[in-house]
Amino acid sequence: MMDLFILGIAEIFQWRILLIILVGVIVGILAGLIPGFTVAMAIVLTLPLTFGMDPVSGVAAMVGVFVGGMSGGLITAALLGIPGTPSSIATTFDAYPMAQKGEPGKALSIGIWASFLSSIISFILLVSIAPQISKFALMMGPWEMFSLIVVSLTIIASVTGDSIIKGLIAGLFGILIATVGADPISGISRFSFDLQTLRAGIPFLVVLIGMFAISRLLVSLERKELDKDDAKRAEEKLKDVQFVLRPIHTMLIVLKKPWTLLGSSSIGAIIGAIPGAGGSIANIVAYDQAKKWSKNPEKFGTGCEEGVIASEAGNNSTVGGDLIPTVALGIPGSAVTAVLLSALMVHGITPGPLLIVNEPNIVGGIFFAFLVASFWMLITQFLGMRYFMKVTQVPVQVLVPVILVLCVIGTFVLNNRFTDLYILIVMGFIGYLFTKYNFSLAPAIIGVILGPIAEVNLRRAVMADPEWTLFLTRPISLTFLILAVLSIVFTAWQNYRTNYRLKKNIS
Amino acid sequence: MGEILIGVALIALGAVIYLQSNDFPALNEVHLDAGSFPKLIAGLLILLSLLLIIKQGLALMKSQSTGERQGAGERVRDFYKEYKLVILTLLVFFVYIFLMQFIGFVVSTIVFIIFTGLLVGSRAKKDIMVITIVSVAVTLGTYFFFENFLNVRFPSGIFF
Repeated sequence: MMDLFILGIAEIFQWRILLIILVGVIVGILAGLIPGFTVAMAIVLTLPLTFGMDPVSGVAAMVGVFVGGMSGGLITAALLGIPGTPSSIATTFDAYPMAQKGEPGKALSIGIWASFLSSIISFILLVSIAPQISKFALMMGPWEMFSLIVVSLTIIASVTGDSIIKGLIAGLFGILIATVGADPISGISRFSFDLQTLRAGIPFLVVLIGMFAISRLLVSLERKELDKDDAKRAEEKLKDVQFVLRPIHTMLIVLKKPWTLLGSSSIGAIIGAIPGAGGSIANIVAYDQAKKWSKNPEKFGTGCEEGVIASEAGNNSTVGGDLIPTVALGIPGSAVTAVLLSALMVHGITPGPLLIVNEPNIVGGIFFAFLVASFWMLITQFLGMRYFMKVTQVPVQVLVPVILVLCVIGTFVLNNRFTDLYILIVMGFIGYLFTKYNFSLAPAIIGVILGPIAEVNLRRAVMADPEWTLFLTRPISLTFLILAVLSIVFTAWQNYRTNYRLKKNIS
Repeated sequence: MGEILIGVALIALGAVIYLQSNDFPALNEVHLDAGSFPKLIAGLLILLSLLLIIKQGLALMKSQSTGERQGAGERVRDFYKEYKLVILTLLVFFVYIFLMQFIGFVVSTIVFIIFTGLLVGSRAKKDIMVITIVSVAVTLGTYFFFENFLNVRFPSGIFF
């Protein structure tokens, strides 16, 4: 435990790396701000830039983007009532009314402090829980690893998208994408259909860039999205808001509500640790719970301080929570941490329960990059707020082609292979169809990254002992499988119940 | 309707994967060979896609009896209006990638950014200026950054 800290501090506290994290945070905040630009997109596009760096700097840069992005949505949410990212939907409930009442500066700075303090809380949770989980995970054999992946995928499928069937289909599709290319155990070439392009497999990153960046851009080109965007911009120009940020005063306000802060941060961290669930769910749940536990719930929605704290604490603490399974088990909780893991893989580092033992400097580096990024986020938000607001004006016609080109470069840089670009365009189109028909992309992405690991563990398990009932008789494995079944049954039941209620209401 | 088509496509994909999985050279693995895992996944995918088709089919049948009908021509026109830019941008993007091998990264990228920018947004004089400057700056900036710092060789094509 101690050596993790010492190694982490030694890795991160160097001028060069501190600077890299700062740049990452600024990029993240801008990504959170610009409509049509998501945090996942920013992370995906940062990755190629980090290939030339050592693994710790690369990962540090990405953690910076992640932390910055989570807090970037706050600005538009508070001033315009438009969430810059889905993670700040609940922020609009109270921060916007507060700004309307003539206190935009207060809304913003309370949000910044809540983001910062909740990051610190989730940092503490991360460093105390992750090593314990990975110690526990070291006792797991291939049976348990396989069942763990099964449960992760079913949970992702059930928390995202509009139906569990679609979520599971997306996950299976992702796993199938990953089976193209060489078989992970015997090296036999599979499903290349005699195409040179497919013989080496479909690179994970190309799938990610296609599905998360290209498909998102295509959505923003639909007529009604363009019209919505025009309307937003017209509105935005009207609002040249004047505000004063009072850092010390608002810090005290936030600290006077310790229970809201602690509660929302814990909720955020727990939700962040569940695969597939992230800031977009956490901020709403945290807000809802804070309202339930509050002494004066009727004030929520009218611009009350607790509401802003709950939402912003809820979304920022997911970062720490998300990193727990990523670091301890090698199972990414979101697209963002999936990119983080693939960055490690590019450098030849295998994520998994052994990561903390084998690469303590990298794990320590991730921990402290997160801490440093939170401080940078606080400082840059307070100092740079005024300048950040100007950037929301980047027009779509510049944004779309430039990001498309960045996608092409990112794909090309990965393997220097021209044919990957065709895979990119196909994946972008598939991702677009998926979003059009409400298949969520997260299970597909996590399926691509976990599929090969599941296969290796399944085959190892059967090689070690051909008795397949071991999956059901080993207690930990059984627990995971039961959880998987429960998550499916529970979601199906919940869907049924809401449908039933809807019908009842109509009649 | 779209969901059903996707379901059918996924069943076809699952079937292809399943059938292909039988032809892998067998090594001396007794229990699970290279084809077993893909077969399992393909099987599950087919099963779930069938479920999806049934579910959507039932919903569709219910809604069709109540929903009002629109002329086919009108529907095509609405569709085109809504998705015009998506389709055109995809086409232009494909042409860009295809041509890059022949005319090189720098030239094709500059042309692509300007062309797509004008396709998507306004064609006022000021905007043309802006997009031209952006395209040249972005292209040359990334080109020199990646060539010099990361030693990436972009396709150079016939120009340089």
